[in-house]
Amino acid sequence: MRTLPARYQPSGPTVHGGMSSVAFCMDKVLERPVAVKFLQATTHRRRMDDELAALLKMRSKHVVQIYDLCKFSDNYIGIIQEFIDGKDLFESFAPPNGIDGYYRQLWQIASGISDIHAVDVIHRDIKPNNVKIDPEGVIKIFDFGLARDAGPAAATVGFVGTPGFAAPELYATAAKFTSAIDVYAFGATSLFMATGDLTPELKAIPPAPLPTGYFGAIRIPTGKNGTALSAEVVRLLDACLAKNPNDRPAITEVRDALARHLLFDRHQALVVFRGSPSYLNAANRAIALRFGTVGSVDIAYDGLKFAVTAASGEVYINNRPVATGYQLPGCCVVALGSPARRNNERVFITFDVSHPEIVV
Amino acid sequence: MSGPHGAGDVIDGRYEIRSDVGEGGMQFVYAAHDKLIGRMVALKTPKNKSATKRFKRSAIVAAKVNHPNVAKTLDYVRDGTNRYLIEELIEGSDLQDALLHRSGCLDPYSAAKVFHHLAKGVAAAHHAGVVHRDLKPTNVMVVGGYSLNEIKITDFGIAKMANEELIEAAEGGTSTMTTSQTAVGALPYMAPEAIETPRAVGSAADVWSVGAMMFHLLSGAPPFGTGLAAVRRILDGTPPPTPAFLTANPQFASLAKELMDVALQCLQKNPDDRPMADEIVTLCGMLCYSIEPRAEGVIRRIDYGAYGFIETEGPDVFFHTSSVYGPRLVQVGANVIFASYDGGGARRAHPVVVVDAPQA
Ligand SMILES: Nc1ncnc2c1ncn2[C@@H]1O[C@H](COP(=O)(O)OP(=O)(O)O)[C@@H](O)[C@H]1O
Ligand SMILES: [Mg+2]
Repeated sequence: MRTLPARYQPSGPTVHGGMSSVAFCMDKVLERPVAVKFLQATTHRRRMDDELAALLKMRSKHVVQIYDLCKFSDNYIGIIQEFIDGKDLFESFAPPNGIDGYYRQLWQIASGISDIHAVDVIHRDIKPNNVKIDPEGVIKIFDFGLARDAGPAAATVGFVGTPGFAAPELYATAAKFTSAIDVYAFGATSLFMATGDLTPELKAIPPAPLPTGYFGAIRIPTGKNGTALSAEVVRLLDACLAKNPNDRPAITEVRDALARHLLFDRHQALVVFRGSPSYLNAANRAIALRFGTVGSVDIAYDGLKFAVTAASGEVYINNRPVATGYQLPGCCVVALGSPARRNNERVFITFDVSHPEIVV
Repeated sequence: MSGPHGAGDVIDGRYEIRSDVGEGGMQFVYAAHDKLIGRMVALKTPKNKSATKRFKRSAIVAAKVNHPNVAKTLDYVRDGTNRYLIEELIEGSDLQDALLHRSGCLDPYSAAKVFHHLAKGVAAAHHAGVVHRDLKPTNVMVVGGYSLNEIKITDFGIAKMANEELIEAAEGGTSTMTTSQTAVGALPYMAPEAIETPRAVGSAADVWSVGAMMFHLLSGAPPFGTGLAAVRRILDGTPPPTPAFLTANPQFASLAKELMDVALQCLQKNPDDRPMADEIVTLCGMLCYSIEPRAEGVIRRIDYGAYGFIETEGPDVFFHTSSVYGPRLVQVGANVIFASYDGGGARRAHPVVVVDAPQA
């Protein structure tokens, strides 16, 4: 190993991995710990350049940040990265902190992978060992050891990845792969984080399909009995592990569904009728709005959305006639009385939906 | 370009100055290209060379805080007799330029978002044992203008240094106070103990400053005014009066009041009576506010003083006058910032805030 600039003082042994090694150092200038990843590009020059390009493209809360770079030679570099204090999700496995805690972790990982895919990069080695939670509770994905840009060039010879988390298509000779391998690995990571292990099917080489509806049987420990995952999340997590990459959802779809479920029963609608406000929320799920014989509408909250459950007469929402089943947009005006009537023969009720923001 | 550098100057063989970003009382700020890594960074250098030792300390302090709501410290270098702090370049503008400059106040939803993220960043710093001491609108960077895509606190490091100047100013009496550039900008947001006993300020002083900024965002002016008169009012301990418009509109009254109550708790004269940053985070985490992106337009017409249309780059957007927040009258030709939602015929705007016309 070449010597690092004197400002980086090793503070422990160097850890050797497959294609690289990592040294933990103290940056004496800024007096903070850093992780230095050494990459030797003998046969993997492209991989090294790819990893670097990938990391530099990244601007994500959930991906580890590069501070500095040391070029020892054309084929040998050190990447000075932020040091995340804390154990990885594999070492520190603990049953999730309720269903909310579980969704919150998965949502952060899915957000990180979404950011990675947004710049056309495939991480290629998503697994609990490559995810850490920092002291502020922010999840960070690291170790882009195998990252490579998506697109036509995303093919490799031979197997690269971690068994148990590697998608079935990676076991094919001259495997062709897409960002769907990260989605598969995310599915396996989600399973691990719920149970602390992988199933025999996933551990098989190559992996076998899970029994259908597997995630539906999972119970996240809460109180005496566990909590089941919501049907939509079950469907999506099951689909992440589909054998055919085309059957897997985009990671953004998974992220957005998790965000919705994190906000389950936490939405609120402020309803202002003739200057007086009232609220629709988990404690008060339904409201009936009536204006004489002109029109009436019932609106109910099901924990995820606000929808019309009954309507009769002249009912318009944001200027559109509505019927049962109509889902209200974030903010709207409910008008009882058609636009053909004079303004003083109609009533207007404002209906504004909001929810807490998920901030990491 | 102002300060010691011009475009093309290369610092430490690595950072090439591209443009001038701004200058405050203590430092010059440039946008520079990191030639080694190939990315843009912010480069800061102290105005006063005798302050270099403190500048280094400040960099070390800043480097301890690692959170998505705090600008990341990347490097610290010396080149000749100059010292430079390299920081994540935030492609936006500070809270003063981005928001307050044209609108004075924000709608309560946006204010809630700023409050939540500011409190998160400050809480992360306090967990790391770092007190900012100089929280003010020009030390809060905003990406995406009124859409508030990202909110990041900067100059955690310079705090100690600014503090020394503030101490000199405070101990020099009110005449020094109004001539020190640093003190002038910070004064309206400064805690009473930072003025009276500047050597002994703790994390509660940051909480005060966050409260003062919130007060400003909600009401359109700093709680105790600006300039010399502010000093007396800050020390006086009388809570500032809140303008009536905050709670005049039932659409906004409840959220505006909740936020203002927290802001006023932060502005208690006795530091022990103020909430911790963590408590503000918890409170904000329960608030419902919408985080839709904001757009800008000009009021095209208003009918019956009740509703009208906003001219935008795309199709006109409908609005109701009950959606307008703030002390300013909405009238034809006024510039407005708004969020919009799906509607029949036209989208519906909510909330709407009147702002100054953009400067040519
Ligand atoms: N990391 C950064 N990225 C982009 N702009 C920045 C950054 N830090 C500071 N600035 C800009 O530089 C200006 C000058 O900063 P500074 O010298 O600290 O002045 P002040 O004392 O008013 O905060 C700020 O108003 C801000 O707009
Ligand atoms: Mg500053």
